[in-house]
Amino acid sequence: MEKSLFRYIWTHSKRDQLFICFVVLLSQPFYFISLDLPRRIVNEAIQGEAFKDGNVTAPFLQLHFDWPQWLGGGSIRLFDGFEVGRVGLLIGLSFLFLFFVVVNNGFKYWINLAKGVLGERMLRRMRFDLFAMVLRFTPEALRTVKSSETATIIKDEVEPIGGFIGDAFITPVLLGMQALTALFFIMVQNVWLGLMALAVIAVQFTVIPRLRRELLRLGKERQLASRELAGRIGEVLDGIEVVHVHNAYAWERAEIGSRLFALFSIRLKIYNRKFAVKFLNNFLSQVTPFLFYAVGGYFALRGTLDIGQLVAVISAYRELPPPLKELIDWDQQRLDVQVKYEQVTQHFAEDRLGPTIEAGADAEDEPLAGPLVAEGLGLPGPHGDMIVENASFSLELPATVALLSNGSPAASMLARVLARRVRGFAGRISIGERDLTQLPLSVAGRRIAYAGVDPIIFPGSIRDNLVYGLRFKPTATAEADKREIAQRIAEAARTGNPFESIADAWIDLTRLGLKDEQDLDRVLVGLLEQIGMGESIYLFGLAGRIDPERHAALAERLVEARNRLRETFKSNGMADLVEPFDIDRYNDQASIAENLLFGVPVSDEFSGRNLADNPLFRSAIDRAGLTDRLVRMGLQIAETMTEIFQGLPPGHSLFAQFSFIGAEELPEFQAILRRRARGGHDLRREERTRLLALPLAYIEARHRLGLLDDSLKEQIVEARSFVRDTLEKADATGVEFYDPDGICMAAPLRDNLLFGRVNYQVADARHRVAEAIAAVVRELDLLEDVERIGLDHEVGAAGRLLSPQERASVNLVRCLVKRPDILIIDGALAPFDEERAGRILQALLEHFEQQSLFMVLSNDRQSAAFDVQMRFSDGRIVTEQTADPHRRAHGPGAENAQNIAGEVA
Amino acid sequence: MTLETEVQSLRQVPMFRDVDPARLKLLAFTSERVQFAAGQRFFSQGDPSDAAYVLLDGRASVLLNTPRGEIQVAELSGNALVGEMGILSDTPRSATIMAAEPTTALRIDKRVFLELLAQFPQMSLAVMRELAQRLERTNAQLVAQSSS
Repeated sequence: MEKSLFRYIWTHSKRDQLFICFVVLLSQPFYFISLDLPRRIVNEAIQGEAFKDGNVTAPFLQLHFDWPQWLGGGSIRLFDGFEVGRVGLLIGLSFLFLFFVVVNNGFKYWINLAKGVLGERMLRRMRFDLFAMVLRFTPEALRTVKSSETATIIKDEVEPIGGFIGDAFITPVLLGMQALTALFFIMVQNVWLGLMALAVIAVQFTVIPRLRRELLRLGKERQLASRELAGRIGEVLDGIEVVHVHNAYAWERAEIGSRLFALFSIRLKIYNRKFAVKFLNNFLSQVTPFLFYAVGGYFALRGTLDIGQLVAVISAYRELPPPLKELIDWDQQRLDVQVKYEQVTQHFAEDRLGPTIEAGADAEDEPLAGPLVAEGLGLPGPHGDMIVENASFSLELPATVALLSNGSPAASMLARVLARRVRGFAGRISIGERDLTQLPLSVAGRRIAYAGVDPIIFPGSIRDNLVYGLRFKPTATAEADKREIAQRIAEAARTGNPFESIADAWIDLTRLGLKDEQDLDRVLVGLLEQIGMGESIYLFGLAGRIDPERHAALAERLVEARNRLRETFKSNGMADLVEPFDIDRYNDQASIAENLLFGVPVSDEFSGRNLADNPLFRSAIDRAGLTDRLVRMGLQIAETMTEIFQGLPPGHSLFAQFSFIGAEELPEFQAILRRRARGGHDLRREERTRLLALPLAYIEARHRLGLLDDSLKEQIVEARSFVRDTLEKADATGVEFYDPDGICMAAPLRDNLLFGRVNYQVADARHRVAEAIAAVVRELDLLEDVERIGLDHEVGAAGRLLSPQERASVNLVRCLVKRPDILIIDGALAPFDEERAGRILQALLEHFEQQSLFMVLSNDRQSAAFDVQMRFSDGRIVTEQTADPHRRAHGPGAENAQNIAGEVA
Repeated sequence: MTLETEVQSLRQVPMFRDVDPARLKLLAFTSERVQFAAGQRFFSQGDPSDAAYVLLDGRASVLLNTPRGEIQVAELSGNALVGEMGILSDTPRSATIMAAEPTTALRIDKRVFLELLAQFPQMSLAVMRELAQRLERTNAQLVAQSSS
């Protein structure tokens, strides 16, 4: 990026700046006319100056231009105007005034808009440029760059710069002109007074910036301190587990507290200085009139200056301070923003950045095969020493290569070099004719894959993460409004942003030999199964939600599967395992809320405790005459809970797991109960709501408090229609109701299959139901569809919703699905136990018969299956060909018979 | 059957006889009531011990694996506590328990049970007393056997 902010602004926005400047100049005459008109209305129309010679009419809209004397004088008559009477002139001039008001405001509107838009465009450009540089940080720089600091720079620190850009050139031009005009006017009246004013201005413009230098230093300090604060907060949040584990709350609090104090102190210094400077500035601008009165008055008394001139000078001077003040403010803002800009560019200093990323130009894209030759290879170790020196090797690719570390870091280092993760090494590595380090990014990204110890997972679905490596460039534009696209692209062009949209189709399916997205899903699921994640993905699928549009095939057959499952239960004597949802029967295995809604809440206002406070729901159960009974039930539950959970310390895990009432609420419920025990019968509205929330979560079969009798159950079943009516009448969309012949999109797939609740009271029911579901899913050939839904499973921030094994699997499949010519694996199998790692290794070796696989292994145990073994000792590299890589015969049948049952909640 | 009746059953178990009713209610509330069909196993010998059971209704057989197959060594019925030794000593199941007829039991989860013991000394004492008494009985039996 340009070193100076002004150069940056000028380079990227000179056309817009000049155009806005031009419009600003254009608007000035109109502005002056509108200032002049009130005088004319008063003088000519109201006081009647235009009619003073006894004229009955006066010209309106007369256009005469008088040439100045030095151009020879005379005048040009363009239009003599309409002859109008006094009232006519008044009305005419007033409307003219109104017209100019509109024109002026129109100009103002346009200028403000244009400045704002210009600022926003430049801000967008700057943010994008900065982000583009984020992508270029070298691996070495990334060790010191903090992510949260970088994020605040791009988000917050450049924001004021954007606000300033619209004013960067226009304000000084405009205000400078105004100030110069006023000064010029003073000069014309009296040179000495003009020079005096000029001298004071000169003092203002030299002393004040000097005083502000300290302010700038403080500003810099403040910016760094607040950036570090953001960084520190990010660090604490990322490492919050350690804070919890080591009870470091006090220390972290003190740490942030002292940072905030430091920030405050800097701010305080800034304020002191800033307002002192302001004081001086104000003083200097008030000193000039003092000089005018004193000195000018003296000259006037002496008779060297006539009084009219003095008055004119003083009134002209009144015009001078506002633009000057604004100009000085602008200057202050300029310095401020410049400092910010410098700080920002320092963060993205050239030496921290790698080469510019070329825009998707298609380089020669041929398979990376042929001889892999390393000559004079030297690898630096973690402590700066050389762990490999002047080593050479050559092998023919494709091949599977075991990098046997035997405790040396060299194997891992070589893996990272081959994956182009490390730049600082000596020697030369080439594949075929091509130098590894010189491969264009587009080729390397497509042809080489690397799976390290830490699987990096982005938030989003599992599918998003798996196809991450396939998104090189869009192959087709998404269907969208043509005008919208045109506008998006035009904006992108003006701000140096990319033209591609993430809504486009980014995955080149034909290159992968696939028909459509469904085909791709099939491949993804297949790979996950090979890596041994089939069961997880199946369970994610069961827990996932079905989208009838995307999963049309499954949606069509879901009800069939539901009925088949029901039949299976019946014919196998498992009917008591699941209690189906039946509109005419109370479901003992479901909560009262669920029984009342007979559906699944889609919005928060109908779920959990909010339901008790929901006016629609309340009015429905009021109409059903249930409220009082349920509140009484709430009292009973509160009584039992306070009795049995008394004596457990708050925060005990049993509270969270079993109690209806949180430990912190216990005293409040106890208070309600005590009041009632003393005979207070009237419950306040919020107390009733609180009590009502308790039975809503009550499941008879699970909690067994014996609070539901048949009549109450019947009443609840009857209330279903009230609830549904009320909600439908109010057009509330907060609940999706169950339909035995339809899909409930708000419920997980598993619930849609079961259409009922597993019996809490039958031993081992969950497991047996899960098996039955798995059997029906297989029988109806729906496994793949279920697993496709599993691909939609959200992985959470940094994949925290996945287990370490699942993260590692996703990481591996992400590498496999792009079919790299070379896959480098360095510790990616670490989270798996030895048996599973062995199986994955076999699967990988089978997968890579045509391509190359480099894998770091800690010992010889499994290296025999590789074509080549590479050993590292004493700074040298030795390669051995395996005579006959004996790969374990591995029937695909055994692998595919994966266990997918799991458990149903 | 409700929580109250389960508490009554728990009170019949010697180990829980002296425990405060509120605590027994907590124990019952945090446990699950499960039904076993005839022939269904509570657990099998060698399984990891994850829960203890109190028989509320029905009968269950205690089976041991022998070289000649499984043999029944005892039968349990109403209010019997079973599987508690495994969760206390953290050892695999020493026998198989199979429902002899449709049986209802209260399943006390190991983690919850141990947490309750850790939280309420009175319960731990009751358990210790019961274990000590069993040890004493075993000693007495050994003495009786060696002297006969």
